[in-house]
Amino acid sequence: MSSLRYFYLVGISLFLTLSCKSKVDKEIVPIGRKVVPKNAISNHSYNEIPKLSEYRFFNGKISDLKPAENVYEYELNNSLFSDYSQKKRFIYFPKGKKMSFRPEGVMEFDVGSIIIKNFYYPSDFRNPEGIKQIIETRLLIKEQNQSWKTLSYVWNEEQTDAFVNIIGGEVPVSWIDHQGKSQNLNYVIPNQTQCKSCHMLGKEISPIGPIAAQLNRKNIYEGMVHDQLEYFAKKQVLIGLPPQEQRPLFAIWNQEGSGTLEDRAKAYLHINCAHCHNDLGPAKNSGLNLTYYEQNDRRRGIFKPPIAAGKGSGNLKFSIVPGRPESSIMIYRYNNTDPGIMMPEIGRKRVHSEGLALLEEYIRSLQM
Amino acid sequence: MKIKIVLAMMGVSAIFAFLLLKSPSMPSYNPDRDYLDMEIPILEAFITAQDSTVIELPIGHYLFSQSLILDGKKNITLRGKGIEKTVLSFKGQKQGAEGIRISNCKNLTIENMSIEDAAGDNLKITDSENVIIRNIRSAWTGEVSTQNGAYALYPVLCKNLLIEGCEAIGASDAGIYVGQSQNVTVKNNKVYYNVAGIESENSSQVEIYDNEVYENTGGLLIFNLPHLKFYGEDIKAYKNHIHDNNLKNFGVKGSIVSTVPRGSGVIIMATKKVALYDNIIENHKTINSSIVSYEIYVPPKNKKKKKKKKKKIFTNGIRQVENDFENDSHYSAYPGQVFVYNNEFNNKHWLPALDNDFGKLWIFKNGMKIPDVAYDGIFPKDYYLKGKQINPEYKVCIINNGAINFALLDAANDFNKFTNEVGNYECEVEFEKSI
Repeated sequence: MSSLRYFYLVGISLFLTLSCKSKVDKEIVPIGRKVVPKNAISNHSYNEIPKLSEYRFFNGKISDLKPAENVYEYELNNSLFSDYSQKKRFIYFPKGKKMSFRPEGVMEFDVGSIIIKNFYYPSDFRNPEGIKQIIETRLLIKEQNQSWKTLSYVWNEEQTDAFVNIIGGEVPVSWIDHQGKSQNLNYVIPNQTQCKSCHMLGKEISPIGPIAAQLNRKNIYEGMVHDQLEYFAKKQVLIGLPPQEQRPLFAIWNQEGSGTLEDRAKAYLHINCAHCHNDLGPAKNSGLNLTYYEQNDRRRGIFKPPIAAGKGSGNLKFSIVPGRPESSIMIYRYNNTDPGIMMPEIGRKRVHSEGLALLEEYIRSLQM
Repeated sequence: MKIKIVLAMMGVSAIFAFLLLKSPSMPSYNPDRDYLDMEIPILEAFITAQDSTVIELPIGHYLFSQSLILDGKKNITLRGKGIEKTVLSFKGQKQGAEGIRISNCKNLTIENMSIEDAAGDNLKITDSENVIIRNIRSAWTGEVSTQNGAYALYPVLCKNLLIEGCEAIGASDAGIYVGQSQNVTVKNNKVYYNVAGIESENSSQVEIYDNEVYENTGGLLIFNLPHLKFYGEDIKAYKNHIHDNNLKNFGVKGSIVSTVPRGSGVIIMATKKVALYDNIIENHKTINSSIVSYEIYVPPKNKKKKKKKKKKIFTNGIRQVENDFENDSHYSAYPGQVFVYNNEFNNKHWLPALDNDFGKLWIFKNGMKIPDVAYDGIFPKDYYLKGKQINPEYKVCIINNGAINFALLDAANDFNKFTNEVGNYECEVEFEKSI
């Protein structure tokens, strides 16, 4: 009898719980009918070029990304991880304009130069030149006042053009990875404000990739293998190129022959972290400097306690504990996808397992 | 015979129990809405705004899935076509806590629209200068609920601020909240269905006038809290109509306003240089107006541990009761130079609300009357100067308010010397020129 009563009570409470729940479910989120403004909303008219095709960067079918005259393809030794998207990079120089060689920082670009970065996913990573889906094309434009402007163009599904996007968004993407496994995720297109979270150097917007040590490599032009920097010099879009032995060079993170483990790890950290973790970057207050050239061990993270990591520290004491990746905050944060914990703070939803493995191997190799 | 008495007693207690237990139904605000989606162009206008940008929002009820954000601009105007005509709704928003969030701006005007149903605060403005908030209705729709956002109009850390012709409805903390700001005018607003109606907190040189504040839990709160960047003084509140603030407290537990008993008209807490005059303050079930120290909000010390644990839960600007106020050397927990004069106090209620300790206190100590002016009588150590002179810093004066019920609670001594004698407080406070 008493067990029956108990059963009855459970039933009542279950009913009450469920009925409460359904009340919450009923709180439906309304949907608005899409409308466009009849008049301009803002007196500040932004007159960006609406379509990527209008720049005439590419010849023929636009999605083939075949560079037009004055547009030069380039590659970097190491690339920022952004959810496994692939990137095709170009620089447009107006006639007679160029870049000047800088040994450490970003090349000095003439006014009017435009750096063009196309983000795409090959449908099968085992056949990288096969069918691909281009998601967005980001531009960095050197303006009359010598400052850089960021713009993003988002491609249509038909891949016939891309359209200026200020507010960002998400695009579902899928691909077959190197192991033949199918993958998918929602690729995040940043809004215009978010561009600055990475591209800020001091108070100015700045490119990140085109530095000498990253451009110093081979590339294929007109069907021939060329030294990339020398090709630019020959084409008169690069001046001040010093002789070969004076050109800095980064190891390539995933090519064992290109440098020591430490060199490869430093190069990887430089391109993935140092855009913030440098002396002028947004993470300067952290005291962690992950530029390739930083010599001070503590500033590189070795036995460096966290400053403002909050819950990002994962209750660990040091950024890098030599020999112990599992006790290193750097690994904890790089192996995370929680927006409040992960590093970098934006630009990925996935963990880069191959890059993580490199950093773990590097930390394991460090001596106490 | 005995049975009859027992039955009658049971009946009476049943009626009482019914009155006590029956939770008063909460009011609702249910405007007709026909939502439109113009999110992308409006977001673009916010993201691309520069100095001197004017954003003009057309007629319509616009729904947003994320906050509208502006930072670091000068001479910005954000304008709708009128409270009834332009509505920005954040109902069910997926990103961000605020509806509109503005920071580090100079010369900013926001006017002529409604802002509704943000997950957190409807309009938050921080670290800005020369700010005008005009003809804005900031509201949560539907039945008033703890799930509503915290603040309807929420300027904080601002300088030179005007809030006028606004309405604030349904905030689970404060309708119009002015925090840690200097040189503030709050006038001609209508504030109802909030936990706190208008709240001036740690703000200075504040004038609050011609407002109608009704059907909140507490009407007008003039607070000064410890451990904040700025402290507040110099507050003038006049020509306001503060009435019927008897709404059940629906604040988030642990927040400071959740401790405000329903039926509180005006509360002046731990603030110096306050002038309350020419107001009509009426029909409150607990106290028409009260002058109290911060100590009255501090829970007994043995609860300290429990409170500390709770502290972590709130991160979204909700202020909690801090019991270590004594460690803040810049903070005084006591009111002073408070001048209450020429107000009209009325009360149609003959029985105090019994769901709070004050109401019960009135039953036992105040002949069931609801005080028009209550003073907690918790005094600091330096309250008396030599020769039993009251330290002018802590002076409280109450004159020319007609025939009022005054209560000095003597809360520091278990209400031992509770008195209705107002004579000690019939004086005047002279303010410096700044007020």
